[in-house]
Amino acid sequence: MAPLLEVADVQRTYALGSILSRHRLRAVDGVSFTMAADRPEIFTVVGESGSGKTTLARMILNMVAPTAGAIRFRGTDLRQIRSGKERLAFMRQVQPIFQNPFEAFNPLKKLDRYLFMTARNIAGLTAVGEIEDATDRALRNVGLSLAEIRGRYPHELSGGQLQRIAIARALISRPALIVADEPVSMVDASLRMSIVNLLRQLRDEMGVSIIYITHDLATAYYISDRIIIMRKGQVVESGEARAVLDNPQHPYSIRLKQAVLSPDAAGSAGRLLAESATAAET
Amino acid sequence: MSAAASTAPVLQVEALRAYYKISSFGLDREVRAVDDVTFHVNANEIYGLAGESSCGKTTLIRTIAAAIKPPLRVVGGSVVFNFAGRPVDMQKADDETVAAVRWKHLSYIMQGSMSVLNPVRRVERAFVDFAFRHIGKRKPEFLDIVRAHLQRLDLNPDILAAYPHQLSGGMRQRVAIALATVCRPEFIIADEPTTALDVIVQNSVLAMIRDVQKEIGSSLIFVTHDLAVHANLCHRLGIMYAGRLVEEGPTAEIFKAPKHPYTTHLVASLPRIGNTAPKKGLEGTPPSLAAPPPGCRFHPRCPLAMDICRTQNPPMVEVLPGRRVACFAVTPPGRAA
Repeated sequence: MAPLLEVADVQRTYALGSILSRHRLRAVDGVSFTMAADRPEIFTVVGESGSGKTTLARMILNMVAPTAGAIRFRGTDLRQIRSGKERLAFMRQVQPIFQNPFEAFNPLKKLDRYLFMTARNIAGLTAVGEIEDATDRALRNVGLSLAEIRGRYPHELSGGQLQRIAIARALISRPALIVADEPVSMVDASLRMSIVNLLRQLRDEMGVSIIYITHDLATAYYISDRIIIMRKGQVVESGEARAVLDNPQHPYSIRLKQAVLSPDAAGSAGRLLAESATAAET
Repeated sequence: MSAAASTAPVLQVEALRAYYKISSFGLDREVRAVDDVTFHVNANEIYGLAGESSCGKTTLIRTIAAAIKPPLRVVGGSVVFNFAGRPVDMQKADDETVAAVRWKHLSYIMQGSMSVLNPVRRVERAFVDFAFRHIGKRKPEFLDIVRAHLQRLDLNPDILAAYPHQLSGGMRQRVAIALATVCRPEFIIADEPTTALDVIVQNSVLAMIRDVQKEIGSSLIFVTHDLAVHANLCHRLGIMYAGRLVEEGPTAEIFKAPKHPYTTHLVASLPRIGNTAPKKGLEGTPPSLAAPPPGCRFHPRCPLAMDICRTQNPPMVEVLPGRRVACFAVTPPGRAA
């Protein structure tokens, strides 16, 4: 059986500057990994800003084409997806969740309408009853229901609820893979863990594989099965998440781990901060 | 811990209420963004203010800095600074006094450094705009002071000639810090200064804030929703929920033994590397400040909610020296007085 997702030596370069002073930026430089079809997992991509995490996500979502290398989803090279029909079939299988739930929804549009549109356009449902059923089912998976959402606008809900709805939207077409780009960085502290737990629940109960992109090592440690650590477009370390984060090998991974502020340092009044900062600079 | 606790506090906020009052088409709406907040900040102390978005943190520090515009109004209470023995009541002071105090005695590090620095002007220009009148020297001497200050903060003085877009996000934030500290103010307010930065850059920016605070011996209010940052930086911590201060105390004690159920939840839900025990999110959502629940504003989400919590607002009570909590479960109403 073909793997769910195969990323093979993928590269993406962007040209910067004017015609006279042109240089190339390798946003993603030779990244490879495989996700199995029969074993759902949470695959985490960690790195600082500018490390190419989001570019990688966009390539997996087929929004940006790789400059070199190939991405295959269930054995099909994404470059072969040409017709609208094939594209739709792909979108049904692979769905995104974005960072900022307040920007993901149109503020002038009711939330249920947004979900119905997804059910109609992406999942390809036509009957009104079917559409409502699919929407309600997806909302129930994230701990909400259609009755709660009907007729409401995005400003009436909190960030955590909106992010749940964004996840429900992604679930309507029953995808096999969800690409979540920093899904909790804009969510309030008291609601953050419920979103993270939800991702874990999707993996365990619905068998959805998740690519979790973040720079927060603590939540990565909490939910991931496997992890890759990226720096300047390249993977510096990869492996089983707990093993990598418990005992990082690459100097950059060590630096990254040291930079994580631990809540257990309370009362040090910045002493540990000084140590980790000097360690980060050397 | 915090030094100079014996002297008078630099900032005393007393029973402060600041509401947004909107009246349109005969309909009055009131958003109680800051409701009955009392706290003080000592000299040479970093006071952390934690809370989720739209819990009134930003309104509170705006009111403290007297940067209020309608529809925001101060309904009651006072904000009094004590700058070198000279008390300044920010609510009563006239515009001239406030303008003279700002930046020289009270400065502000903002979240979006890009919106502090004018994108079409060089960094030097920002220093001139903000600080020139307060330093009161001639231009060449003023620029020497600025260069010396940048050097002290390990920034290359050449950045004065750069435009903001030529600097990285972390660098811009450092420039914003340099800008806020060039007059060596007694009081600095930092509003989520590291939220947009990634972990490694965040640490060096935090270390810089801490170093500069230590060097000039000023007091600092540090606002962020990230408790891990508070744990590593602040001497004392105040937790806000829905416009009210619900718990206050020394940072180490709050993390070791939180008292208010909201704080307890926040501390317990922090993920840590090396710990995969399941952690629960809090049920429900933060209340709308336009129609807050009656009684304790946390009661709809509180696992310990009792009948009295639904009708009465728990007062802030000092349970241990320096430790204040507003919760009936901690201080039963009979004993509270």
